[in-house]
Amino acid sequence: MKKQAFETKSITESIVAFAQFARGHGLNVGIQETQDALQALKGPMLTQRSLFKSALKTIFCASPEDRRLFDQLFVLFWDTNPTDLRERKNKTKIQGTFENKANPSLVMLGRGKTEADAEAGKNVSGANETERLKTTDFSKINEIDADPLDAIAQKLFQEMALRLRRRKKENRKNGPVSLRKTIRRSIGYGGEPIDLFRKAQRPKKQRLIVLLDVSGSMDKYSFYLLRFVCALREHFRQMEAFIFSTSLIKISKMLQSGRLDLVLSVISRQADNWSGGTKIGECLQTFHEKHGKQTLNGSPIVLILSDGLDTGDPNLLGQVLFNIQKRARKVIWLNPLKGMKGYEPLAGGMQAALPWLDVFQSAHNLESLLELENMLGDA
Amino acid sequence: MQTIEHPDRIIRELEKHNYVADEELATALFLLVKLQKPLLLEGPPGVGKTEAALVLSQLLDTELIRLQCYEGLDVNAAVYEWNYQKQLLSIKLQEGSDRSIEEKEKHIFNHDFLLKRPLLQSILAESKAPVLLLDELDRSDEEFEAYLLELLSAFQISIPEMGTLKATFKPYVVLTSNRTRELSDALKRRCLYHWIDYPDLAKEMAIVKKRLPGIEPKLLEQVVGFVQQFRLRKLSKTPGVSETIDWAESLMALGYREINSAGFDQTLGSILKSIEDIQQIKSEGIQAFS
Repeated sequence: MKKQAFETKSITESIVAFAQFARGHGLNVGIQETQDALQALKGPMLTQRSLFKSALKTIFCASPEDRRLFDQLFVLFWDTNPTDLRERKNKTKIQGTFENKANPSLVMLGRGKTEADAEAGKNVSGANETERLKTTDFSKINEIDADPLDAIAQKLFQEMALRLRRRKKENRKNGPVSLRKTIRRSIGYGGEPIDLFRKAQRPKKQRLIVLLDVSGSMDKYSFYLLRFVCALREHFRQMEAFIFSTSLIKISKMLQSGRLDLVLSVISRQADNWSGGTKIGECLQTFHEKHGKQTLNGSPIVLILSDGLDTGDPNLLGQVLFNIQKRARKVIWLNPLKGMKGYEPLAGGMQAALPWLDVFQSAHNLESLLELENMLGDA
Repeated sequence: MQTIEHPDRIIRELEKHNYVADEELATALFLLVKLQKPLLLEGPPGVGKTEAALVLSQLLDTELIRLQCYEGLDVNAAVYEWNYQKQLLSIKLQEGSDRSIEEKEKHIFNHDFLLKRPLLQSILAESKAPVLLLDELDRSDEEFEAYLLELLSAFQISIPEMGTLKATFKPYVVLTSNRTRELSDALKRRCLYHWIDYPDLAKEMAIVKKRLPGIEPKLLEQVVGFVQQFRLRKLSKTPGVSETIDWAESLMALGYREINSAGFDQTLGSILKSIEDIQQIKSEGIQAFS
C-alpha cells in the first residue's frame, strides 16, 4: 500500500504520492501525467476541492471505467484519517486490479483421456502421422498425440494467418492512378507522365467477432479452439473475442497481449460454474446489449464456436441471433459435434439458431478448422 | 478574451454562448487551454461533444477548423494534397525554358501548389491559435490515429517535398469519440480525457430552456421528463440532448402548449429514430410516462 495523503508533508509530495497510488491501483498514470497535474494545480485550482478533483480526473483517466475507479481512489487517498485506518486496512481492496501471476490450473483442457478414447483415436487411418493427426477428432486425442498435435496446430494456424495476409497484398496491381507519384517521376522526362504509378488499393478492413463456448461439454475442444482464435488475431487486427459458459467474458485485451495463460486461468476460475450448464441465448443477449453498440458496426463477421447444447430458452437464442445477424455481414457457427457421424442439429438451441446462420460447419479437427480460411478470405 | 484564470470563468462564458456546462467539463476545457494538451471528449451521441468545441472557439474568439473523421480517411484528405492540375500546367508552361530540372522541381513543389487540408491549416494559422476539432475519431482507421500521434505531441507535420512544418501557434485540439471502438492507448496518453454523460433532469431543462427561450414551462417540464424516462427504457437508440431539443422544437412548431396523446404520437419521430422504439413507446402510451 502506497502512502496516503496524511503521511505526506507538502501538497507537491501529496500529488506525486497520489499519482503513484493511482498507478498502483491500475490507472495508467506516468511521469508526464504527474507533471501535468502539478502544473495544472497551481493557483486557484488548489483552493476548491471539486475543481481539484475534476482536474486530476481529467488528467489521470482515459475511459469511463477509469473514471469510476478514480472516484474510489480519490476518496481512499485523500480522505483517509490515520485514526480509522486500522479498521479499513483489510477492506481497501479495489476491484479492477489484475492478478497477473494467477497460476493457470487448467492449462491443458481436456487432456488425460480414458483407455477407450485412446483406442478410438488410433483407429483413424491416414497416410502419415501429420495427416492422421489433422483428421483426428480433438475429443479422441490421447496423451501421446497431444504434444505433436499441439505443434502441428500452431504451425498450421500460423500459416493460415500468413496466407490470409498475403492474399490481400497481391491484389494491388490495378488501383487508381497515383497522380502524386506519377508527376513526381515525370519530372525526369521534362514533365511527360510516361510511367503511370498506381495507388495500392487499401484492403478493406475486416472485423471479426469471436464468441467461444468454454462450457463443460466443450471442454475437450476449447483448448484447440482457443489456439485457433489466437491465430485469427494475427490476421484480424480488429478482432473482439469473448468466452462464455454461464456468463460472458471479454478476452480481447488478454489475447492482444498474447497472454493465453491469463485466458486459461479465467476459464478455470469459471469452471466452478460448469454444473449450471450453458446459457447460450442469455450470453449472446448480454453480448448484444453490452457490447453490441461497440462491436457490431461496420458489418463484421461473427464467429460462434459452440456445441449448441443450451440449457436456456431456445427461443431467446433465435431472437438474439436474428438481431445479431441483421448487423453482421456473416454469422458463422462452428460446431464440434457436427463432425460426429449421424449428428443432426436437433438440440433445441441449435434448431432455433439454424435459420439465422450463414454458415454452419463442423470444428472437430484441424482440417475442419482450416477450412474456415476460405470462408474468411472471401468474405 | 485572452487569459482565463479560473474554470468558473469558463462556465460563465459558456453560459453566455448558450452552452450549459458543469464544473468538470469546464475544468477539462480550462486545462486544455492552460496545459495546451489535446482534450478527448467521449460520450453517447447527442450530448454536446461537438458543440463544446464550437463554443470553445467562440469563447476564445478564434477560428474553428473541423475535420470529420470517417473510415478510409487518409493523409490526402486530412493533411495536404498537391494541386496536380496546376503542377501539370506549370510543367507544360516551363517547357523550353532554360531552367534546370532541380529548379523546375522546386518550383512545382512550393506553397502555391499545396492544397491545405484541415490538419495542415491548423498548423499554419498565422495570427492566433485556432481550435482544431477532430470529430468522431473512432470512425477513422487505426493508421490515421497513429499518424495523429506526431501532430498531437509535437504539433508538426512532415511533407517529404518541403520538410517539416512546425506550428507557430499551437492549436487547441478537441477530439470526440462515440466509443464505437476503443482508441489506442498511445493516443489516449497524449490527451486529457472527459466523459460527457446524459444530463440529469435539472441540467437538461436548463439546456433546452437556453436553446428555446420561448418554450412554455409546462411543455419544457413534460418533454424533458419524458425523455429522461425514455432513457431508462431498453431502446435500440437512446435519445440524446439534441433530440430533446428537436422534439421540443417540433411540438412548439405544431403549436402545442403541453403534450397530449395526439401530439405525443404525432411527434415521436423527432425523438425516437427507430420503428421498434416508436412502436414500443406508443404501445406503452403517454400515460405510462406522466
